[in-house]
Amino acid sequence: MKGAVMPASGVVRWTAGVIGLVVLGALALRSLGLEYMLAQAAFVFTYAIAGLGVVLVVGQCGQIPLGQGALLGLGAYAETLLALRGVPAPVSLPLAIALGATGGWLASLPARRLGGLYFAMSTLAFALIVEEALVRWESLTGGAAGLAVPALALGSWSADTAAAQAALSLVALALAGFACRRWVASRLGRAWRAVREDEDAAAASGIDIGRAKMLAFVLGGGLAGLGGALYAHWIGFVSPEQFGLTLSFELLMLVFIGGARRLAGALWGALVVIAIPQAISLASEVLPPDLAAAVGLETLLFGAVVVAVVVLRPQGLAGRGSRSSG
Amino acid sequence: MSGLALVQVLSSGIATGCVYGLVALSFVLIYKATGTVSFMQGELLMAGAFAVLALHLAAGWPLGWAAAGGIAGMSAFGAVLERTVLRRALGQAHLTALLLTFGLGMMLRGAVGSVPAATHSMHRLALPFAGERWRVGGLAIAAEHIVVIVATGVLALALTLFFRRTRAGMALRACSENPAAAALMGVSVAGMHTLAWALGAGLAAAAGLLLAPVTFVHPNMGLVALKAFPAAVLGGMTSLPGALAGGVFIGVVEALAGFALPEGVKDVVPYVLLMLALLLFPHGLAGGLRQR
Repeated sequence: MKGAVMPASGVVRWTAGVIGLVVLGALALRSLGLEYMLAQAAFVFTYAIAGLGVVLVVGQCGQIPLGQGALLGLGAYAETLLALRGVPAPVSLPLAIALGATGGWLASLPARRLGGLYFAMSTLAFALIVEEALVRWESLTGGAAGLAVPALALGSWSADTAAAQAALSLVALALAGFACRRWVASRLGRAWRAVREDEDAAAASGIDIGRAKMLAFVLGGGLAGLGGALYAHWIGFVSPEQFGLTLSFELLMLVFIGGARRLAGALWGALVVIAIPQAISLASEVLPPDLAAAVGLETLLFGAVVVAVVVLRPQGLAGRGSRSSG
Repeated sequence: MSGLALVQVLSSGIATGCVYGLVALSFVLIYKATGTVSFMQGELLMAGAFAVLALHLAAGWPLGWAAAGGIAGMSAFGAVLERTVLRRALGQAHLTALLLTFGLGMMLRGAVGSVPAATHSMHRLALPFAGERWRVGGLAIAAEHIVVIVATGVLALALTLFFRRTRAGMALRACSENPAAAALMGVSVAGMHTLAWALGAGLAAAAGLLLAPVTFVHPNMGLVALKAFPAAVLGGMTSLPGALAGGVFIGVVEALAGFALPEGVKDVVPYVLLMLALLLFPHGLAGGLRQR
């Protein structure tokens, strides 16, 4: 599938996917219970929002962000600190998005003229600086001990049930997905794809490639900020280590699995990335207790899943024939 | 600050910087020869340190033999990984290689972490001269630092000779410059990829060995390898001597920052330098100077 605007076959695939999701959901509902499923759904949608941001940067613009986890962290901490001071969500969420977007801009700024691997390096450095700042600025962030996050409040109503959280996440995801579809179909989206395919040709066609890349990182950062803000509310606790390198790689995994070029890939990838740790903890219950108690087992298994996915499907699980980008 | 304190800060900075530099060297070597961005050099470093420790303490080999055996073993491991798994990332986008090596790194970390003996107690490679200070021209410098610096120098010299004087070294260089032309001259490009990974893994293991007497050996010690990225960028990403010099520079600046600036600043200095370097000298410090 070339391009990102959904052709007719995409609609068929969407429908099949939704039916599959409903069947899977019904099965899981029977075994795990409604409350648990809704809570997990809220996380899947939230990850998918952040995943959309990575799709813009990786799949559309062809750059590699290694610091997306820290941008989620910026959004999460902004939202937490504002919510703790009684700022209502309609004000704090845009601020969290703005902070994420600013972070994306700052992280990508040094590599603007270089691109490619240098974006990976620059965003990685930015993420490590942010993580250290969150640990050290104890008077504001509570340091490594972290902060408890109050429930998301809209006026007198607060989203403290799993159903409300899942519904809010779904609404936010739908809005984000709608915005992304608009961007991807716009002049800017075409510029991104041109930069991805051939920077020199794009520049020769009059595209400001520095601006196109910068906007991908800014919009991707904004989506990361929104995802982080919601994530902070749903999990109820933020600490710097949650937003480290592992999260950044989880998000890259997410778009790799879902198919980096398609916006819908963010949702599929989020589903898999949320499901993997649960599957691993189920699997370790089956193993002999000595082995299951080993500290490194979950890391080992997660790494094995990553390696297996990359080796068996180098184009991603959903990448049928289309080359994964980066 | 007093002269003595300055010398000690500098010597510890140079020694740490040598470790960063060696890891950066291994990263750049692999990147240049195979185009693969490796995110597992830190885990190879950690595995190397554990391999030497296991051979020395558990199997009872003398230290020298254990060091040689550990590094040789890690080189073989790197070559096997290239032949079996890493080859798949060749010619793919950077993202594929990044994810693949990150996943392999997680597997290594998890595997070592799953060995009870490795995680249940703190390990340190005890050297016969640990804690001693050697006098060099009226200055007292910690013995470990001198050993690390000298060992790095020897390694760098050996690598230089290898790349300049041996057929395999020149073939590897040719392959990094232009794989198609090298293949036409009869160089086995696939073989050179294996060699690059063997060298890269061996160098990372050597860095781990040099780090072992200074810090504790534990499954997360590979995190130091993150400092190798600023070193590689400062060196211009494709220069082997640049990577080593970049590492030493990062080590010294970090040590000075730890000495003079508030706590915590030290840990972000390498990354601030990385971003500044990209902003001001986009082609590496060496490249930036060459252009002037």
